Amino acid sequence: MGGLGYFPGTSFLHKLNPIIKLFIAFILVAAVFAIPSLIAPAGVLVVTFFMALSCQSAKWTLKIIRSMIKFSIVIFIIQTLFIQTGDTLFPLFWGLRVTKEGVLFSLGFVLKLIASALPLALVLRITKGIDLADSLNETFKIPYKYAYAISSAMRFVPDFADEMNDIIEAQTARGIEHDTKGLIKKARLLAPLCLPLLLSGVRKAEIAAISAEMRGVANR
Amino acid sequence: MLVFEDVSFGFADELFRDVNFRLNPGEIAILTGKNGVGKSTLLRLCNGLLKPKKGNVRVAGFLTDEHKTSSLAKHAGFLFQNPDRQISKHTVKEELLFGLSLTSPDIDENTKQELLMSISDEFGLNPDSEIFTLSKGYRQMVAIASVLITEPKVMLFDEPTVCLDKLGKEALTRCISTRIEKGAAALIISHDLDFIEMLKTLNSRILILKDKLIKS
Repeated sequence: MGGLGYFPGTSFLHKLNPIIKLFIAFILVAAVFAIPSLIAPAGVLVVTFFMALSCQSAKWTLKIIRSMIKFSIVIFIIQTLFIQTGDTLFPLFWGLRVTKEGVLFSLGFVLKLIASALPLALVLRITKGIDLADSLNETFKIPYKYAYAISSAMRFVPDFADEMNDIIEAQTARGIEHDTKGLIKKARLLAPLCLPLLLSGVRKAEIAAISAEMRGVANR
Repeated sequence: MLVFEDVSFGFADELFRDVNFRLNPGEIAILTGKNGVGKSTLLRLCNGLLKPKKGNVRVAGFLTDEHKTSSLAKHAGFLFQNPDRQISKHTVKEELLFGLSLTSPDIDENTKQELLMSISDEFGLNPDSEIFTLSKGYRQMVAIASVLITEPKVMLFDEPTVCLDKLGKEALTRCISTRIEKGAAALIISHDLDFIEMLKTLNSRILILKDKLIKS
């Protein structure tokens, strides 16, 4: 099973109470932002990787990191261009320059971004939505329907990613160049996909709501 | 028109091994097999959405390994199981012309209108209808029509009749028949016995995907 969906397993982390998993993830995320050094996000990445390894998700982790790196490169470039203070590493066009400070800040920024997203993604991968809802309900006394809504919303993230992938495939098969290598062109082509994605999302949410209603979620 | 030469493919596990088959112009192949056996995956190999791990797939003479799926679209018309995935415009007219503008950008306005009216008549569609107010059956017909309007040489249909009633299936069979007579070919995944009976009156054969191989 790929993407951000639940991956069944029998590892120690799989069996751990969902609240404890969430707590560990929040501690790791807090460490990323609280410790003002590049060692913190790098360390969290390593720890998360070993945790993923223990629940047969090492390949998945690398895949998630790879796809986040694509995003991060764009963010890194934009950040670097916006920070014009510090020692010049090399000059660019129109008076812009790449500075040491800019590179270090941008590197830290993208590292923190990846390191903070990964533990939470791992929690979603090794925890069933319904177990998470139950635990939130029992531990924090969050009313079941709200806990259910939170876990359902989390479940929709991988569903949306799969849906997006299917729509991109369908549009490519019609002749739209989603298979182009150009990043800007690719981004421009994503705009027409919003309509089918939005419609299917609304429809899916409506069906999920009716289905939850029929199973008596509101009465729990 | 469509050739599989010793094609092997799989994700975590191997789905096909050394699959060989050929679809000639004017021929229909109906692909069946158990759920999860890899029929939709095989169809995705036909237009390059997936690339074979081993062997070659040629569609309309083009190796899918060497061409982008978007550039193969003018030769291979692909219909997905869920019509909503491929619809991206508001009205039937916009949707049908969108497909045409992608595969034949140089076509003149008069021909466009002729093709639009002709395909709308074939499926009983109102070009001014707003697509997402239509029933799923009609949306499926819009998706089929948006593929057929481009006159592809190879029609690749994944369960095209799941939402269609008998009239819809008959309309689809007529449309396929017309294009087959003109020399196109079709590879159709279907479990719909009524539809398969309709196709059997045309130049068709049944392929079964079983034990990682295709059997006639």
